[in-house]
Amino acid sequence: MSTLVCSNISKKYGDKEVLKNVDLTLEKGKIYGLIGRNGAGKTTLLSIMSAQNPATSGEVTWDGERVWENRNALNHICFSRELVPSASNNGVGTMTVKEYLQAASYYYPNWNRELAGELVEKFELNVKQKITKLSKGMLSMVTIIVALASKADFTFLDEPVAGLDVVMREYFYRKLLEEYMDTGRTFVVSTHIIEEAANVFEEVIFVKNKGILLKENTEHLVERCVKVSGLSEAVDEATKGMEIHQVEVMGRSKGVTVLLKEGEQIAPNEKLQLQPVNLQNVFVALCGLEE
Amino acid sequence: MNETLTQEKSIYLQISEMIENDILRGILLEEERVPSTNELSKLYAINPATAAKGINILVDAGILYKKRGIGMFVSEGAKEMILKRRRSEFYDQYIKKLLQEAASLGLGKQEIIEMISEAEEQ
Repeated sequence: MSTLVCSNISKKYGDKEVLKNVDLTLEKGKIYGLIGRNGAGKTTLLSIMSAQNPATSGEVTWDGERVWENRNALNHICFSRELVPSASNNGVGTMTVKEYLQAASYYYPNWNRELAGELVEKFELNVKQKITKLSKGMLSMVTIIVALASKADFTFLDEPVAGLDVVMREYFYRKLLEEYMDTGRTFVVSTHIIEEAANVFEEVIFVKNKGILLKENTEHLVERCVKVSGLSEAVDEATKGMEIHQVEVMGRSKGVTVLLKEGEQIAPNEKLQLQPVNLQNVFVALCGLEE
Repeated sequence: MNETLTQEKSIYLQISEMIENDILRGILLEEERVPSTNELSKLYAINPATAAKGINILVDAGILYKKRGIGMFVSEGAKEMILKRRRSEFYDQYIKKLLQEAASLGLGKQEIIEMISEAEEQ
């Protein structure tokens, strides 16, 4: 089975370290959600994995082959970068949508014109328009088209739904699932709108403190996380020795989010309230602001 | 099969429950094909691995069975199996919870029994 592996990746921009000793293995045939706060290093990680940006140290390999300057490996990897509404996209800005998609079709050997055309139509994009003239949502549409039509085995989408309205976001996730079911390609999708994408991700990768905080099956992660609240003493007693996050105290009451380890459980009683949490809650609990 | 998914509970459990509900209500009949993993994934916009997990729970329980190359089917006697299991879960899911809530409200056993009789009369 095909895999894309990061081994001990570190990245510095000048003196600023963005990634430190990152190990990550992506398997073929999964949809991963890449989740982290602004500036956590998600884009840097994706650009290094697709050899668009050199790592300061460490190595990325596809099926054992080094990815850097390796055309054969890169034919299987697509990183559809987030476009910014300015002329600064390395000359991309002065291109029309049509020219931009054409350039992508030369770069990706398995480019699917029909799919690109279908998406252009669905998104109602004017292909004669210059990239600089597109709205935020339209720029996202262009990056989505490049990602899906590239037909690359490993495809990364960085904030693909930024600026899209809810109808188009839903359309995108359905289209992504359809493409995934038809082909078994691997997708890594970074997003800040977590909850509506949670059911699409088979696994989630949390990026925090220059590294990978966790990589886990989405349902498994959500199931082992529970919000416990009630009388302070009762909460303390029930969660003793457990990994707790997001402690909130008000008067005699206390609420904590517990990340249960294998075999741990909290017995319900009338002094405690146990509530399930969603993926967004888990993320905020684990990666939110420290007190 | 057209219920709405909630965020309060694991999606795969909701998928298996919805199929069970459809069997109980006669929407899905015994020996009939159930929606495939891909169909469920499309309908609910969920990862097919999650849909498969929901279906596999029912296969393991003997409620569904696989016909090679065709798909998943409702087993004979599936409805009876679901009823039997749900009755035994009724104790944990409803009775225990009821008593827990009653205890925090300071309601005694006699009062609860009276309430049940009253509700039944209405």
